[in-house]
Amino acid sequence: MNTLLLRKSKDKLKAFTKHPYFGYIVFGLILLAAQLLTMSGMIQKSTMDSIILTLIYAVIALGFSLLLGYGGLASLGTAGFVGLGTYFTGYFAGTLDLPFGLTILISLIGAVLIGTIVGFISLRIEGMYLAIITLGLSEILVEVFKSFEAFTNGVDGLSFRTFDLFGRLMSDEAVYIIIIIVFVIVMLATINIIKSPTGRALLAMKNSTSAAQSMGISLLKYRLLAFIISTVYAVLAGMLYMINSKFSIPTTWNLALSLNILAAVIVGGSQSILGITLGAFMIFGLSPAILSNIQFFIDHPAAISIFNGLLIILVVMFYPGGLIRLLQTFVAFVKKKYVEFKQKWKEYRYGKDE
Amino acid sequence: MTLNLLILLGSLILIYFLVDLIFLRKSEHRIKQRARLSNILLIIGVLGGLFITINEMTLHLFLQILFLNSVELCVLILATTGIVLIFKTSITTNFAQGSLATVGAYFAAKMIIRWTESTELEMVQIIALAILAGVVLSFIIGLFIDTVIIRNAKRVTSVGKQMITMGLVLMLIGGIPLIFGTLPLPFNALSYEVTTIPFGDKFLVMPNHNLISIIITVVVLTILFVALRVTKWGLGVRATASNEIVASMMGVNTKVITALSWAIAGGLGALAACLYAPSSAQVTVSFMTPVQVNSFLASVLGGFFTFGGPIVGAALINIFTSIASFFNSVWANVIVYTLILLLVLVKPLGLFGKKTAKKV
Amino acid sequence: MNKFMLERLVSKKEKLIQKYTFYKTFLPISINEKEEKLNKKIEYLQKNKELTLKQYAINAGIKVDYLEAEKANKLQKLEEKYSLKNKALKQSKLRALKKQDETEVNKIFDEKIKTLLASKEAEKEKLNNYYAPSDHIDESLTVYKEKETEINTILEAKEKVLKDNYNQSVKKQTERVKNKVKDLEQKIENLTKQIDKAKSSIEDLTYGINDEVLLRLKDLTMRFGGLLAVDKLSFDVKKGEIFGLIGPNGAGKTTVFNCLTKFYNPTAGEMYYRKNELEVTKLNDYQVHNIVKLGIVRTFQNVELIWELSILDNLLVAAHTNYQTGFFGQLIHTRGLAREEKVYRNKALKILKDLNLLQYQYAYPLGLPYGILKRVELARTLMTNPRLIILDEPAAGLNDAETEELSKTIRKIRDEYNTTIFLVEHDMGLVMDVCDTVCAISFGKKLAIGTPKEIQANKLVREAYLGEE
Repeated sequence: MNTLLLRKSKDKLKAFTKHPYFGYIVFGLILLAAQLLTMSGMIQKSTMDSIILTLIYAVIALGFSLLLGYGGLASLGTAGFVGLGTYFTGYFAGTLDLPFGLTILISLIGAVLIGTIVGFISLRIEGMYLAIITLGLSEILVEVFKSFEAFTNGVDGLSFRTFDLFGRLMSDEAVYIIIIIVFVIVMLATINIIKSPTGRALLAMKNSTSAAQSMGISLLKYRLLAFIISTVYAVLAGMLYMINSKFSIPTTWNLALSLNILAAVIVGGSQSILGITLGAFMIFGLSPAILSNIQFFIDHPAAISIFNGLLIILVVMFYPGGLIRLLQTFVAFVKKKYVEFKQKWKEYRYGKDE
Repeated sequence: MTLNLLILLGSLILIYFLVDLIFLRKSEHRIKQRARLSNILLIIGVLGGLFITINEMTLHLFLQILFLNSVELCVLILATTGIVLIFKTSITTNFAQGSLATVGAYFAAKMIIRWTESTELEMVQIIALAILAGVVLSFIIGLFIDTVIIRNAKRVTSVGKQMITMGLVLMLIGGIPLIFGTLPLPFNALSYEVTTIPFGDKFLVMPNHNLISIIITVVVLTILFVALRVTKWGLGVRATASNEIVASMMGVNTKVITALSWAIAGGLGALAACLYAPSSAQVTVSFMTPVQVNSFLASVLGGFFTFGGPIVGAALINIFTSIASFFNSVWANVIVYTLILLLVLVKPLGLFGKKTAKKV
Repeated sequence: MNKFMLERLVSKKEKLIQKYTFYKTFLPISINEKEEKLNKKIEYLQKNKELTLKQYAINAGIKVDYLEAEKANKLQKLEEKYSLKNKALKQSKLRALKKQDETEVNKIFDEKIKTLLASKEAEKEKLNNYYAPSDHIDESLTVYKEKETEINTILEAKEKVLKDNYNQSVKKQTERVKNKVKDLEQKIENLTKQIDKAKSSIEDLTYGINDEVLLRLKDLTMRFGGLLAVDKLSFDVKKGEIFGLIGPNGAGKTTVFNCLTKFYNPTAGEMYYRKNELEVTKLNDYQVHNIVKLGIVRTFQNVELIWELSILDNLLVAAHTNYQTGFFGQLIHTRGLAREEKVYRNKALKILKDLNLLQYQYAYPLGLPYGILKRVELARTLMTNPRLIILDEPAAGLNDAETEELSKTIRKIRDEYNTTIFLVEHDMGLVMDVCDTVCAISFGKKLAIGTPKEIQANKLVREAYLGEE
């Protein structure tokens, strides 16, 4: 009966590897392993730091891709919402010393409210106008961060201390693990949304509003939903940012960050989850993790910015599908070359077929 | 005063619904008349609000603040015009407008330093020449950007083009410290004198720099608008704006049109930056960012469809900011942005936008 | 009992009927899946039996099909392997000939070929030995038989358990679904009774429109600024007919459609639609995205598909209003969602098969021929359980053969899916061929209505089309 068991388990494993979650869970496990290696000193801490930062920005970018890549709604207000998340955490869990669970709840409610407001705005204003109006909204939030000193501690920035979760004090390492887990959960939630009627409805809305409406898709509902999801993701990422870096200052949450998120989504490929993660790494993680170790970029830190700009322009102009498309074409190219090589080798070895 | 404003707002909303329910319900052209009604009420609202606030702060103070802020107004109008020009020909919002302008201002500042050392011209002449040099540089960079990048990105979507301009921002911002050094550069005003104007029994103070700025802006804009009306380029811009493919089929050289528009937008931006720099006495990498944000909002407020609309939008934003910062300097920006947001919600296509019906 | 309560009852009934049909369609799909699983398991068991008995069978020298096949397969593989090796040798010999002396090369390679043949023979013998029966055939035979009976009993027991499990789970599920269906039937019956009762106590909800009429336009007017696109248009569309609306360019045909599907709000006039056996509703009160819930669905003049979704997914978008799983259910992908996906996917596949589109199910619309896209749009309308399908120029851009096929398809849809079809068309051949009733309009005004022959003979229509005096 052993052979039967073997056969069965083989088939089961095959089915498991074909499950849509498989790749993402493996990705998460790799990240966890990297964190463990860092704790044992085999990977540099600075590298892991930049990876963790990338993950936080990737969470924002995933929410944004649901908005832009699936809903077709351009928004430049992301940074403000992320900032809101940091201040929610800093104020409720830090200044007021509420339990962390309650803080999460309050933040999520806040995110849903803000998302609803923006969603309603998006019903009246479309396209480029919407982008600029959300930019205005983000500016309002930043001004509030600067002026509302009781809540945000003004332009000096709000600091945060270590916090309790499940009755335990969270160390830096624990925070890293939390971030990795949240990231994996967010990825799985995103893929669930994409592969459900909601994802299809969002795409329908992006491609043709008239067809979507005549199929019974309410623009009101799905625009609100898209904005609520992306705002919740942004606020969540803000919370992760706060527990990770323990400091938030209004000027971080400016237009440049929103544009960078947009860049991460476009550069990576606006509809692929791994592409967006890659894009987030290109925009946010590349310079601290790799470029800042190269002598030329240490001498000229401004060149990093030029490099990023050039990268964005080149990708948008020549690879509108994003880096993930480039990667896919590359893999396809390698496969094709391999088949060709195999054929040639056969010819060399066995001679041409008669 | 806050109470008065609230009463005004409430009564306007009340009037809107009452008129709509009582008079317009039976009308055949209800939607059209509703729009007209909301326009009238909007104008009444803005004027009434202005009246109430001016009454509170006295006309003299209001004018004085307006005079002092007039240079910001000129800067905003110039920058906004540049953005609208590019929107019309390339159908994208140019995020690089501010950075492009900053490069011009940096160049001008550098030239001022060099020429004060090497030549014996008067300060005013040096600054004027330097501004001209900055404008020319931005003009050339604009030309360069269009011919090298934007022209080759014809098939990119408008969001994609936004991304390209964003990449340009990063490149320009990265390039500035490499070329001009990492320190901010000083930038002098054209004149530090003031002109006094009698007003009733009091006097209004007008800095000469502001006066010159206004004159320059008016002259430049007049030339631009005349060019848009009269010259072949202007006709081309209008044709390209309405439909680029048809325009090019009708023999309009859209390539030249867009290239010139980018160049002129760059020049306008640099001029704006050079006029704006003296108010903080120096140029830094990000000193044009607030102007950039405001000019986007002004274009949305006025609507991208006309050139006049965004200018009115810019003026409104400037006036609102002046008044709001008089009453409450901490929350001024929040109040102004919220106000703009509400205005745009009432008129989604801008104050002067026209709705085009979608064909299904 | 008032109108509002009645409406609620009716909508409740409709929802129940939807659920009822869902369960009914789900059951066979689920049983089918279970059966497949069972068969797979039994197959495993059989294979395992073969594997365990193999050695004994060889020893006993029994000729079994699978053993023969296995042996033949192995022999063939051996042949292939050595022929390849042979080829390789020849090739390297050719290469060697270019460099070295001929006789020497021949000598070396003759030897090599010899060793190759020898090793081939050796391997063949080994294989034969492996499959050769043992010396004590009688003994082995008894052992084999013992083993076989032993394994057979085990196998039977296992198979029985599996089948029992299968039967039980099928029975359970059938019962559960049956109970649910029965329950639903009961509920529906109750509701019907209630509705009937209420019907008598309430005023007439049909606006005096008789049963046959599905859609009635009354003085429909649409004005764009100064332009009068539709001017006091009235006509009836009867249940189950194919109704054609014709008119010269700019006559306002598409505007009528847009008013019907609420993309435009008509300036004046009423649009009555028979919602159910008892109630006629005014379309004027509905929002665009709720129209489809009434069973009215449309196609578009220039194909409006979701370009970033495959054809199958495009059809699933149309099933959107049928999904019962809420957003949070979708977020964690509940079983209910998987069940629903299965049912609607099956339905979509059936529709695709009906319209000869099955080979395109995973293709993306971009780049497919125009005729196919038009048919996909048609298939999409069928996903929504339509009662009235509105076709906006279905033949535009099609060639003659495709148009002919289209008219067949339209009739087929009407008959098989039990719907009413309302179409706008320029191709007079199609209209005259397929329509039961035709209405001609010009500049938003009705010219004539009647059978295709009557319309062809009508003088006003000819004038409008040809400008005859």
